[in-house]
Formats: sequence, structure tokens, C-alpha cells
Amino acid sequence: MSDNFAKITRRGLLGTALGGAALLATRPSFAAGKTLNILSHKVHQTVLGTGDGDLLADWKKANDAELAFTTFDSNPLQDRLFREASLPSTDYGVGYIIDNRPTPDVAKLFAPLDDFLKSAPIENYEDIAPGLREAMTVGGKTIGIPVRHATGGLFYNEALLEEAGISAPPTTLEELIEQAGKLTFTAKDGTPVTGMIMASDLAVFPVSFARAYGGDYITKDFKLLPKPEAMEKALTVMADMFKAGALPRSYATTKNDDQVTWMQQGRAAFTMITFARYKQFNDPAQSKFPGKIKAVQFPKSQSYDGEMSAVTESWGMSIPANFADKELAWSYIREVSSPRVTLGMAKNGNGPVRVSTYADADFAAASPVAAAEAKALATARGAFPPFAEAARAQQLFLEDVQLAVLGRKTPAEAVESMAKRITPLLPA
Amino acid sequence: MRTRSLSQLMPLIAPVHILILSVIVIPSLYVIWLSLGQSSFGQAQTFVGLQNYYNVLTDPAFRSALWNTVILVVVAVHVELAIGLGMALLFASGLPFRRFLLVAVLAPYAVSEVIAVVMWRFLFDPDAGPVTLVLKALGLPILDWSFEPTHAMILIALLTIWLHLPFTFIILYAARLAIPADLYEAARIDGATPFQSFRRVTMPLLGPAIIVALLFRYIFAFRIFSEVWLLTQGGPARSTEVVAVYLYQEAFSFNAFGTAAATAWIMVIVSLLLAAGYVFILRKQGAANAH
Repeated sequence: MSDNFAKITRRGLLGTALGGAALLATRPSFAAGKTLNILSHKVHQTVLGTGDGDLLADWKKANDAELAFTTFDSNPLQDRLFREASLPSTDYGVGYIIDNRPTPDVAKLFAPLDDFLKSAPIENYEDIAPGLREAMTVGGKTIGIPVRHATGGLFYNEALLEEAGISAPPTTLEELIEQAGKLTFTAKDGTPVTGMIMASDLAVFPVSFARAYGGDYITKDFKLLPKPEAMEKALTVMADMFKAGALPRSYATTKNDDQVTWMQQGRAAFTMITFARYKQFNDPAQSKFPGKIKAVQFPKSQSYDGEMSAVTESWGMSIPANFADKELAWSYIREVSSPRVTLGMAKNGNGPVRVSTYADADFAAASPVAAAEAKALATARGAFPPFAEAARAQQLFLEDVQLAVLGRKTPAEAVESMAKRITPLLPA
Repeated sequence: MRTRSLSQLMPLIAPVHILILSVIVIPSLYVIWLSLGQSSFGQAQTFVGLQNYYNVLTDPAFRSALWNTVILVVVAVHVELAIGLGMALLFASGLPFRRFLLVAVLAPYAVSEVIAVVMWRFLFDPDAGPVTLVLKALGLPILDWSFEPTHAMILIALLTIWLHLPFTFIILYAARLAIPADLYEAARIDGATPFQSFRRVTMPLLGPAIIVALLFRYIFAFRIFSEVWLLTQGGPARSTEVVAVYLYQEAFSFNAFGTAAATAWIMVIVSLLLAAGYVFILRKQGAANAH
């Protein structure tokens, strides 16, 4: 028996090796004393840099900690984050949350950060855009620290504009519509060009058109379609563009990624997308028009005298209430929110949440759209405020928008339907 | 023969029961419990009885999704069966390069659904897809799937048939190969035409395999999700939404766990009803073979 016990068999060796490997795989790395698990979008990890450009190298050394990112696309990320935060305890210390998600119920799942802000303040916290900070405050409690904003701008392909004999980008919505019509043509190289491309599954486009006429979708105080005639006008204009071919035939199935590829390939002359895409549009490795795709603020109609608010979406860093080591999580958030890291992330393509970042000469030089972005951000606000049925309401809204643009409903019928179907979903 | 008591047998059969309990029975009961309440993230469950079932069944979006699903399932499964049967007979009759062709026919089953949809999206892009351009060049009508809901449904059906045809084909082909050649020889000697051989020999003997293929495909096809979600996301304007997409939206976009769970149970019941006829025939065949 003792001989058998001491004998090493192939099966025993393999089993021990596999078991050992499995055991090691379940525990954090040996390289650091602690591991902070983070749930985020891939972009949040990328903008922090790697290797020599790792913006958090010093923080990791000082805290003897490593970061372990688990990344998802936006919607699955929010779902996973809320699931983790609903458990009795979680291993995730930091979760990135979108500003239109934290309803009062969801906010209860996250640790209020106000005490941390008092005991270990973030450097020059007031520098973070007030609108973004407000978006992360629910019921008077701060549940997230803004880290990224995605504010929409109007991108145009300068080369195509020149080819069509247009010397400057539009300054009014009417000019945009006219130019998009002219730019629905076949380019010199034989590429069929569509005037404008926009994703049909995001509220940002119809909301921007409506705001250009002084209207809106849902205001901060939950007023639905505060100026219905503006939304009707917006839908009329979009439907006319579709009918004229200035929006692609595939409008109803166009997604955000399609906007990027169409612009890079010169298949569309205009699009509206976050300013942070500038680098991607002009990357010589990806784009047929490097340096030629530029951006301005989305223009308002000449018939509207008021202020035009760009649509913005922001991300905040939150700590699930059920995470044990909140000090470590807060330390990470403090560091990522610092002016130094905010600037570093901005240079890596992040929409900076600090006003001072836009004043940085290096950043302005590296990002030609910085001035336009700063201007848009100053008055930007979300497409809609968070409420329990926001996602369902958005779907109903987009359904009516699509039906109007495709010509299956008149704009007036679509607006009437929106009012009828979305009103019962709004908070009492 | 030595008999064993139940207590002696329990340790041997317990793992199977534990497995079935833990992966089927308990989750199913949990989903029933979820379907009887209203809950979301950060909200405690409140009991609402059968209200979620009522809400789902009276929702026009669900009814439209159910209708789309039934049409897709019925069309796709039967077209798949017709093509799969034809191909199985063709292969069994002897084809040159049979092995190569067999690999070609089975290949779609080895392709990930996501890759397949991306590929088809590219091929049928209404503005610049190669298939669209060829059809236009030939003066033929294109599949305007991003605008016309009917065209979108046709494209989804074509895609799902292409993806799942190998499953139906392989079942029918294997069953056809199992039919003894002497039955055909006897039929031929009796003066049967090829059509009569097909009707009187092939079809009756392929019957059980056809029922099994139909049954599995009905159940699988009723869950159709990725083809629709990745191709049209249920659009334009929810016109191609299917029940699984409706369920996904309720659960993961709207975080309405009660209605999502009710939808899941309605899906199970409807797919069982759709397949019930075939289950009945299968049971009848099983009983007939037992005697």
C-alpha cells in the first residue's frame, strides 16, 4: 500500500497538475498584493493606456494593487453591473454606469460617495462639469463620479464637400439639409455617396433634430414632447431626407458602427456622433480620408432663436454597495478623476469631464475638435432623464420615429402616438 | 437474479436526479415564481398573480412577435424539410464527389451564427452588398430587407434555412441509408415506378426520422433569436421582432423580470402546442413498434 501511495502515475501527475492550475486560476495574480476588479466598457480600459503609457502605473505601485477589467458593450455592461450589485456580495469594486440608468431603485445598489468626497476629496472636484456631476446625483446622493462624456457633434467629410463645390460646413439646420441633398451623389472615384448617415436605434438623432427647432423628447422634469410641433417638424425633415435619398435606404437597420465605416469609406458626407470619434475617423490605417473628416456643433434651425443643447451621454464610476474594500475602490476613482489622469485619458480619445482639460494647449493641439466639443458640452444635456421605464419609452419613441421616417406614418400621427404611448410610462 | 432495495439503488441514480433538479426543475420553478411577481433591479418582488401573463398576451408587440415567430417557424421548418429530403434522396441515389459535396452541405452547421449573420448582412447590404449589386446588374428585384418588413422576413427565413438545413439533411440522409436496398429491388420487380417506390417504400420508412427532425426543428426554431437580433434587431420599427427578441428586450433592456419570465413560459407552452401534433404521431409510432 505504501509503495502504491508513493508511486507517481501519469494519471496522478496530470490530475494534480490540472487541479493545481485550476486552483491557481481561481485566485488573484501573485504579482500584486491586491486586485481591484472593474466592470467597464473596453474603451474605459483602453484610454488608461498600457506599458510605458499606463496612466495608473504609480497608483498601482503605491497601492500594491493590480486592476482586472471585465469589459462588455454598454447594455450588457449595465445589466451585469446591476446583477452584481444585487447579490449579497460582489468581487467587483468599481462599475462604470451610464447617466440615464440610475433610477432611485438602481441607485440604492451603489454606495453613496459623499462621505468619501469629504474624507478623501477628489482634486479640484468643482472642475468637473456641473451637469455631469448632477447626472450622477440621485435623491441628493452622489452615486458616481463622472469619467467620460460622449457629446454629439456634426462630422463632415471636407473632401466630399469640396468635390460638391461646398466651401464651408453648415451653420444652420436648413443649410445642413440642403448640403446633404447636394452631397447625395456619385463621387469622382465612383463611390455612391449618401448625404447623411445616422443610426436608427438611438434617440440622439431625432432628439437633436427636435432641439434644433426648440423642441425635445423628455425634459429633466419629465415633460414629454414639450413642443410637439418641433418634433413633428424634425420628423418631417428626416422623412424628406430619406425620401430624397439623403439618408441611406438601410436607415432602419443602421447602427453606430455603420456610421463610422460609412464615413471612413466616404460613403456618407455627414454624420452626428460623439466628438471622441475624431481620431478614429482620421486614422490613416482605417480611413480613406485621414485629416479630412472634421466636426462642428450640430446646427440649429434659423427659425429658432433659443439655445441649442447638444445631446450628451456620460459615464460615471460607482462602487457597488455590496463590495467590501470600498477604500481601495475609492482610491482608484480618486486617481482616475484627477486632472492628470483626465488629461491623459483625453489624449487617448476619452471625452474629458473636466473643463480645465480643454484649456490645455497640448490637448487642444492634439484634438482639433476640442474647441467645438467644449462649446457643445457647455450647454449639453442627456437625451432623456433616468426613470424606471426609460428604456421601454425610448423603444416606443424610436419605433414611431422609424415609422415616420420610412413614410409609414405621418409625422403628426407619430407625435400623437408617442404622446399616447409614452405618457403612461413616465413617473407620476 | 439478485434484486436490490431502493435504498441501495438511490446512490446510483441520485446524481442524475440532482442534475435534472438543479439544471431544469429548480430553475423552471424559479422562473414560474418570477412570472407571478413584479421585480427589477433594486426592487423587491411583489406578487401580482397572473397579471404578467395578461399583460404579455394583451401586448400588441407580443402578438405581432408571436405571429412573426409562427410564420418563420412553419415556413423555415417545412422548406428545410423539403430541401433536406430532396438532398438526402439525391445523395443516396449516388452522386459524383459525394464526400466533397457532403462536407459542403454540412459546412453551414459549423459556422457560428454570429459570423453567418455578419456575412449575410454584408452580402445582402441593400446599398452595396455583392448579391444586391449582382441582382441589380441582372435587372432583377433586390431584397430590400432594411425597408420592407416582408423582405426582411424572407431574408431571415433564408438565413435560418441555410444555417439549419444540415441538421434536417443529416437525420434524413442517415435514415434513408438505413432502408434496405432489397425493398427497392422488390418494388422494382413488382413493377413500381420510381415515384411509387418513393411513396410506398421511402416515405413510410422515413416517417419516424421525418417526425423527429420536424419535432426538434420546431422546438429549436421557435427559439430563433440571433438571426433576427443581429440582422434587423426586430426592425424596421419592430416589424420583424420574434418572441425570443421580445423576451430579451423585457429581461435585459427593460429589466422587467416578471413579464420576461411570463413570456418564457408562454413560449414553452406555444412551442409545445405547435409540436403537439408531431409528438402525438411519434407516440403512436412508438406504441405501434412496441407490439
